[in-house]
Amino acid sequence: MSLSFKPARWAALFLAPILALSACGSGTADGATTCNGLPDQPTLSFAAYSTPREAYGKIISAFKSKWKDEHNDQEVIFQESYDGSTLQASRVVSGYEADVVALSLGPDVDQIADAGLITHDWTTEADGGMVTTSVVVFDVRPGNPLGIKDWNDLTNSGVEVLTPDPASSGGARWNLVSAWGSALRGYGGVAKDDEAGATTLMQGVLGNVLAYDSSARKSIQNFEDGNGDVAITYENEVLTAQAAGKEDEAVYPPSSVLIENPVTVVDKNVDKHCVREVAEAFVEFLHGDEAKQIFADAGYRSTDLATAQKGGGDFPAIEDLWDVDEFGGWDGLTEKLFGDAGIVTQAQAG
Amino acid sequence: MSAPAAPATGPAGGRSRFARGALAATAIAYVALLLLLPLIGIVTKAFQPGISIIGDTLSRPEVRHAFLLTGIITLITVAVTTFFGLVVAWVLVRQRFIGRSLMNAVVDLPFALSPVTVGLAAVLLFGTGGWFTDFVSARGIQVLFALPSMVLVTIFICIPFTIREVVPVLEEFGLDEEDASRTLGASIWQTFRRVTLPNIRWALLYGVALSTARSIGEIGAVLIVSGTISGKTETATIYIFSALEERLEAQAHVVALVLAGVSIVLLIGIEWLHRRNELARSNT
Amino acid sequence: MSGAAQTVSGRSTARWAPHRTAAVLRHLGLRGAALVYLGAMVAVPVAAIVTSGFGDGFTSFRTALAIPYAWTAIKLTLITSAAATVINAVMGTLIAWILVRYRFPGRRVLSSMVDLPMAIPTLVTGLMILTLYGPNAPIGKFLDRFGIQVAFTWVGILLALCVVTLPLVVRQVQPVLLELDPAEEEAAATLGAGAWLSFRKVVLPAVRPAIVGGALLTFARCIGEFGSVVLVSGNIAGKTLTAPVFIYQLANQFRAAEAAAIATLMFTISFVLVLVTARVTRRVEV
Repeated sequence: MSLSFKPARWAALFLAPILALSACGSGTADGATTCNGLPDQPTLSFAAYSTPREAYGKIISAFKSKWKDEHNDQEVIFQESYDGSTLQASRVVSGYEADVVALSLGPDVDQIADAGLITHDWTTEADGGMVTTSVVVFDVRPGNPLGIKDWNDLTNSGVEVLTPDPASSGGARWNLVSAWGSALRGYGGVAKDDEAGATTLMQGVLGNVLAYDSSARKSIQNFEDGNGDVAITYENEVLTAQAAGKEDEAVYPPSSVLIENPVTVVDKNVDKHCVREVAEAFVEFLHGDEAKQIFADAGYRSTDLATAQKGGGDFPAIEDLWDVDEFGGWDGLTEKLFGDAGIVTQAQAG
Repeated sequence: MSAPAAPATGPAGGRSRFARGALAATAIAYVALLLLLPLIGIVTKAFQPGISIIGDTLSRPEVRHAFLLTGIITLITVAVTTFFGLVVAWVLVRQRFIGRSLMNAVVDLPFALSPVTVGLAAVLLFGTGGWFTDFVSARGIQVLFALPSMVLVTIFICIPFTIREVVPVLEEFGLDEEDASRTLGASIWQTFRRVTLPNIRWALLYGVALSTARSIGEIGAVLIVSGTISGKTETATIYIFSALEERLEAQAHVVALVLAGVSIVLLIGIEWLHRRNELARSNT
Repeated sequence: MSGAAQTVSGRSTARWAPHRTAAVLRHLGLRGAALVYLGAMVAVPVAAIVTSGFGDGFTSFRTALAIPYAWTAIKLTLITSAAATVINAVMGTLIAWILVRYRFPGRRVLSSMVDLPMAIPTLVTGLMILTLYGPNAPIGKFLDRFGIQVAFTWVGILLALCVVTLPLVVRQVQPVLLELDPAEEEAAATLGAGAWLSFRKVVLPAVRPAIVGGALLTFARCIGEFGSVVLVSGNIAGKTLTAPVFIYQLANQFRAAEAAAIATLMFTISFVLVLVTARVTRRVEV
């Protein structure tokens, strides 16, 4: 038997994929790609927070037909994912090549921008980059058996509260910022500007938390499964649940933060995938009348502040509606509440 | 070898028969409560909205893609783990070298890990600041939140199946025949194909069946690495997970039922192969 | 083709022969292939976990355990797994017994049914349990009247674990029972021993290693179970959150080091068990 090259065959078997891996992808990842217009069937990767999937389902269908009509029957493929806002932002930073992100709050978009993936100033877009607004509500059992009216009712002994985890869910941070801000504005049984009182209120609420789910949707579903007495959530989540035939009932605290949800194009990814034209058209569509109507029907308030406060139809008027700028914007609030020495962080550590 | 008959009943024949009946009833009730009833439950729940729900669910593009993705991942996983599993089994049994028992232990490692730990490992290797992140991103390859990571974690999880089934068979017999074959001048490849392969055939297929079932059913690891991107990184199991979150309970149950059906078919195959394997091994 | 005879290791009796070199190279080639495969696919990921978890000493470990419900999750996992192991050790042996020793219609079906958890996705198992024992489900509502809640409690976790690991002990014990010579039991019977005494003194010692092996496998499997538990338990931190789901949550949040610390702890436990089992069951297969 002659000297065989079989061992070489085995080695080649292993080296082949490794060599292939090295050879393929001729450095287009970081370098600028030259795009010759859109691909024939553009694919848009869409990352959103956990609650608006029903709304975006309809909006995306509407956009696809509009694009088809205006662009020679061209079919746009959407690949959507929905999860906690901060989780999604982390994933995009870690390599999830989303072309358009629709997140719960500005700081999560900033996280992506800070990683160099968004190179334009998204806050200068229409409506400040926001597409929807909402308010914080308490989701209670039918008939509100515990008579919950305001934040201090959540601190009562024996009340089991559900709220998502601020580390992964944008909704969670809106909830807790609303609690804090309302207290400082003199609601929830706390005197105006009484920081100590507000801190006590926060600790009381957090002390009653039964579970911190990783997204707003998971939190409300936990509530619907029969766990907990009250879930702190978005108004639009309760309306969506009711539309799905669930028994959720919303109680509106008199004071609430104005929840504003941003959408923007992720520059690095759209340029890499050569879908910038479609992505920007989609974002523009979201600010248009058709999308606004779909959002409104799905339970989201208008980006116009006056309209948001006044409400109308399914949307009750909010007595005291304020935004994060009242307290120095997200930077100060994040540090105060969610920083290492933050009030929420400390309370969670129990 | 057939099962021996039950031992003769003692002097108190009636009491013994009652005891036997009670034992059998307990065992059957346990299995019924744990498996049979829930299985019936899921069939009922899936058809609750009416039979049209099946067509509605299976016609959705994201559902079809989910099944397709599961199929692709399973195919690649089974191919890789079977091929290299054979190599490892051979090396473990037919070779002597320092570190052989270490290699043996390493093969068992995937059984010791929770699937979520496997997903975590992928994040550690390919996520931000991961060991291989720069290497793959410089080549424009997406690992996390894309097919490669899903395949890698599934392979990890399925590694032991083929090896663990083939090793005992290789250990028990074949060596003399292989020796004879080589002495008579057959090449390594010929020996393997004509002598070894027929011996390990049933064990190999059994391992393939087990790996297939495991791949289809994988959830923990793929959930972490996939990003649950509808139409891109949702396997059938991940689709169930997502659908429940979307309050599409009916759809989730239909997909679950399909998977259950596939599992039962696989199970029949597994049972048959298991028996063939045992038979082959006892007919030394 | 060489005229010299060869042993299977390819060693030639001639002083130098090309086939000797070829054989050695082939050996190394195969071994190299195996090493690269296992090294890349198993050793590297595990190394990543261990170094991340314990790279900076016990810091990550302590941070992870400092999270209020971390210890509770670990304890809950260990306790429910131990309970499921005991239950399935007993029931598994019983099922193996009646499958081997009894004749009844549907025996084959029962045998296949027992193996179902090996083939069915764990997520589907979890969903099956919810459709029957969930809060709005037939048995769930029935039990609710007695104040027993299955879904979203430790009871549900225990149930899920029992279902998922049902075949493990059965499949270890069954072959041993099959090989047992009934002559000894018949002898015991003729000497007047009742069925239970005969079982305890004759059968049990023979199957004990198989039961122990199966039990260890069951326990190792239970402490890592995710798919069924994540649906059934409700994942309420401090009450029904298990270690695997906890690791999943941490991993999802990219809190990799903390997740890795917990994961290393859990898999060390199961790895030791799997190794011990391998030794025990190998002794069983005579």
